[in-house]
Amino acid sequence: MKALRLVFKNQEYLGLAAVVSAVVFVLATWLPNLQLLWFVWSDASVALADKIILPIRLLGSITTNFTTISASYTVLIALLAGINVSLAVYLMRTRALSGGSALAGLSGIFTGTLGVGCAACGSVLLMSVVGTTAGIGLLGVLPLQGSEFGLIGVALLGYSTYLLAKQIRTPLVC
Amino acid sequence: MIAGTVGAILVAVVVVVAQSYVSPLDRMAAISPADHIRGNPDASVKIVEYFDTECVLCKRSFFMMRDVVDGYGGQVALVFRHFPIPAHPKARKEAEALECADELGGNDAFWKYADRIFEITPSGDKLDPAELPKIARYVGLDMEKFTTCLASGRYGAHVEEDYQNAIATGGKGHPWSIVVGPNGTKYPLSGTQPREAVQQLVDLALKGS
Repeated sequence: MKALRLVFKNQEYLGLAAVVSAVVFVLATWLPNLQLLWFVWSDASVALADKIILPIRLLGSITTNFTTISASYTVLIALLAGINVSLAVYLMRTRALSGGSALAGLSGIFTGTLGVGCAACGSVLLMSVVGTTAGIGLLGVLPLQGSEFGLIGVALLGYSTYLLAKQIRTPLVC
Repeated sequence: MIAGTVGAILVAVVVVVAQSYVSPLDRMAAISPADHIRGNPDASVKIVEYFDTECVLCKRSFFMMRDVVDGYGGQVALVFRHFPIPAHPKARKEAEALECADELGGNDAFWKYADRIFEITPSGDKLDPAELPKIARYVGLDMEKFTTCLASGRYGAHVEEDYQNAIATGGKGHPWSIVVGPNGTKYPLSGTQPREAVQQLVDLALKGS
């Protein structure tokens, strides 16, 4: 907590965390419909207002297209990703960033994203990575049917944040 | 000179690839009278939706789409197709049950059966298979004929065809929908999206854009 207070008393880092969290959240809600957004944005006959309003409305899918569990870890991943990036940037500017915490943070964001989508009904990114048939089959044998990725993502991001905070708190020695 | 030649070849390759590209949405099986259509079969806009009756998001989407279709007074129709994923083994038999309802009672019975199955399923592959004949009775079908139909498995291949078509068109999760406009324009829609977003998409399709 001390490390977080130290970093976030600077508005710049607070702003960075907010922006990164917002970007991760927006991408998580848009991810299943990137193809649709591309169709709408690239169609010259669609009015500008529609091109702006549709993506905003799709953000509401956090309440319609997510179960309570998947919505919770999606929001948590977005928040942790923002905090994580801010701490990492702070460390890079003030000292050196350890490879371990950066790797854990990146792995957390990637693994968490694999879980995006309905816990029981398919993970958009997972299908893209391993193929639809294999992805659907894989989700079928997982006990939490895909939520594992989101939960592991939260754990990895939490661990990475812990490592970064610990590194910030550790006094410099010569 | 060599760079120019290589560049021209690359451009030619890109053009050939682009010309031969087929959008996954164009692989959608054509809408036919054999489809299960809710609303006006001649509606300008058709929402083709691939459902898994044991998916909680499909349950949410089913009732929302039903209301959306009703709200457009004949301009929009919903086409029901099957997408029972292996994670929900019971959903495949439920899809066959829907087809049996259609065989025994026509399109009307199909939709009554769909309404009821989505009403009572707890989702997540938890519907007791013993409920299937009970739903048949509830919607006024001959229980004996229904049970015989379901046991025969004669709609298994049809359900599999729908499932494969969902994947071929780009379906990566549930529910998977394709909004088809009057000029044939297809908009992909993945998941259960807010009603306002669905209506906006329908309005775009109605404009023929």
